[in-house]
Amino acid sequence: MKYLLAIGLAACVTEVGTPADNTPHDEWDDKLAGRVLDYNAALRVAALRLTGELPTLVEMSAVATAADPKTAYETQVHAYLASPKFARQMFRFWQDTLKMGDDPSLDSAPAFAAEVTVQNRPFTDLFTATTGTCPTFDVASGVFTPADCGNGVPATAGLLTHPGMNKQFFSNFGFRRVRWTQETFACTAFPAEIATVAKDVGGATPYTGVFPFDSIAGTATGGRVDFRDTSAVICANCHSNINHIAPLFAHFDQAGAYQANIVVPTPLANNPVAVMTDYLPAGEGLAWRSGTPVTDLTSLGHAMAADPAIAECVIARVWNWGLGKSDIIDGGNRVPAATIQAQVDAFTHGGGKLKDAIFNIFTSDDFVRF
Amino acid sequence: MTKRGFLFAMVAACAATPIDDSSYSDDYFRTNPWPELDRIEREGPPRFTSRVHSCSKVRYQTLGNLLASRGVNLAATDPLSAGAIYKASAAALAGPNYLQRVRENVEPGLATESKLFDIFVQAAPEIIANLPNRPECQKNGVGAKLFDAANTCQRDGISCLIGVPATQTHVDLCNQTIARADDVEHCKQLAVAVLAAAANTCE
Repeated sequence: MKYLLAIGLAACVTEVGTPADNTPHDEWDDKLAGRVLDYNAALRVAALRLTGELPTLVEMSAVATAADPKTAYETQVHAYLASPKFARQMFRFWQDTLKMGDDPSLDSAPAFAAEVTVQNRPFTDLFTATTGTCPTFDVASGVFTPADCGNGVPATAGLLTHPGMNKQFFSNFGFRRVRWTQETFACTAFPAEIATVAKDVGGATPYTGVFPFDSIAGTATGGRVDFRDTSAVICANCHSNINHIAPLFAHFDQAGAYQANIVVPTPLANNPVAVMTDYLPAGEGLAWRSGTPVTDLTSLGHAMAADPAIAECVIARVWNWGLGKSDIIDGGNRVPAATIQAQVDAFTHGGGKLKDAIFNIFTSDDFVRF
Repeated sequence: MTKRGFLFAMVAACAATPIDDSSYSDDYFRTNPWPELDRIEREGPPRFTSRVHSCSKVRYQTLGNLLASRGVNLAATDPLSAGAIYKASAAALAGPNYLQRVRENVEPGLATESKLFDIFVQAAPEIIANLPNRPECQKNGVGAKLFDAANTCQRDGISCLIGVPATQTHVDLCNQTIARADDVEHCKQLAVAVLAAAANTCE
């Protein structure tokens, strides 16, 4: 019903006009069409984002007096991207995106993400890099100093095995780490996957997950928490995905160090350590998504790297940052796929290089129109 | 009619009309449509809002860079100095708190903008004095001044203050502020504070 309501409302804001090509349009389309090119205003925003400072008088004059302001503006954006101040800005951007910073153990995660961005390496290194994921960053000079993390992981998998991340998002069952991974890199809150056909599982509302309902543990399978409970909400709507991922993060202790056994607590009496059968029934495998099995954090990283939703998410995040939006999850500032399709296509076909994507976004038609 | 009733009435009236934005996924509306409906009512649909610049607050670190680059001493210890107020106002300026997993709030709020204006008011004397000496505000080695010897507002100085080429309207408003003054120096400071605040209330 809510879905229908939402569709209905969206439909109602459409007023069919009489454009030359008979394409339906409404007041919002007209407002978009009414924007004008303003490279001076775009330069100001670009400078604030990419250097953290206002444009200089010389930079302003170069664009304002140029015979070809578009080229002059793009030249300046290139210069901003080559500046050490850009590294500082990327560090700040990733601090905010990852919700990590202001402590050396946490800062190395945004430093690594910033390093990948500034060096225009494939963005997927954030999930697949096997070395150098704990660099330090000197804000004053904009210089990165590579370093490994050394938190005892069998194999490093980008930020997924980062000690600072696993420390910052420590929780019962490791669920907070899963939520961070989902919201930061997939840009949606749980539930992560929703079936096209809902299933009645005896609750007040149906089960809408994609995994089979009985693919996660409950008291019926020996689990100590009933993730199959339907008496209040359908826990499995979210936990069908969460429980297929969380055991991978359950080996990191409160300090973010990897341990051979599961070490995260449960919210049960006396906080016993979680065990595998709390998450999944015996024989059920781990998975990034339904139909995308994984076995360890390395394969999780590769699965994420191959997921188109992850590429769309980072472009949406950079788009929102560029245009001054608040967070895509916290602020609900979703970006319709059509808005950034050109940017996503260029990003995915260009090797996932985020610095290139930033240039494309900051020189896009929407960015330079006001 | 309540908002919800109004929405239902709209649906009833328009349910046969095709949705205007095919880029939405089913998942999105199914999870929680109400915040989105509120947002559409206030701001327009995401296919519009996502394509226009928002009115975001200047980020805390960026504000510090901005002030320093226009001549403000952020190391000042006088509690009424702009630098000291800035240093002590991270929370009031909605800065981030990463240790508590809180991102910076870039939505402009009244308290945040008020604090921002406080800072610009206190910063104005420093900006007027130091802006011409800042390399960011020089062309060919000549610094842009905000006012000439006759206390007339100068376009290049205003441009460097606000970060875009100043229009004649900027200059006129600045001069009107001075012309109405009983105390020229205070009104020059007010003019600078107002211009800076107006330029930076929204990035």
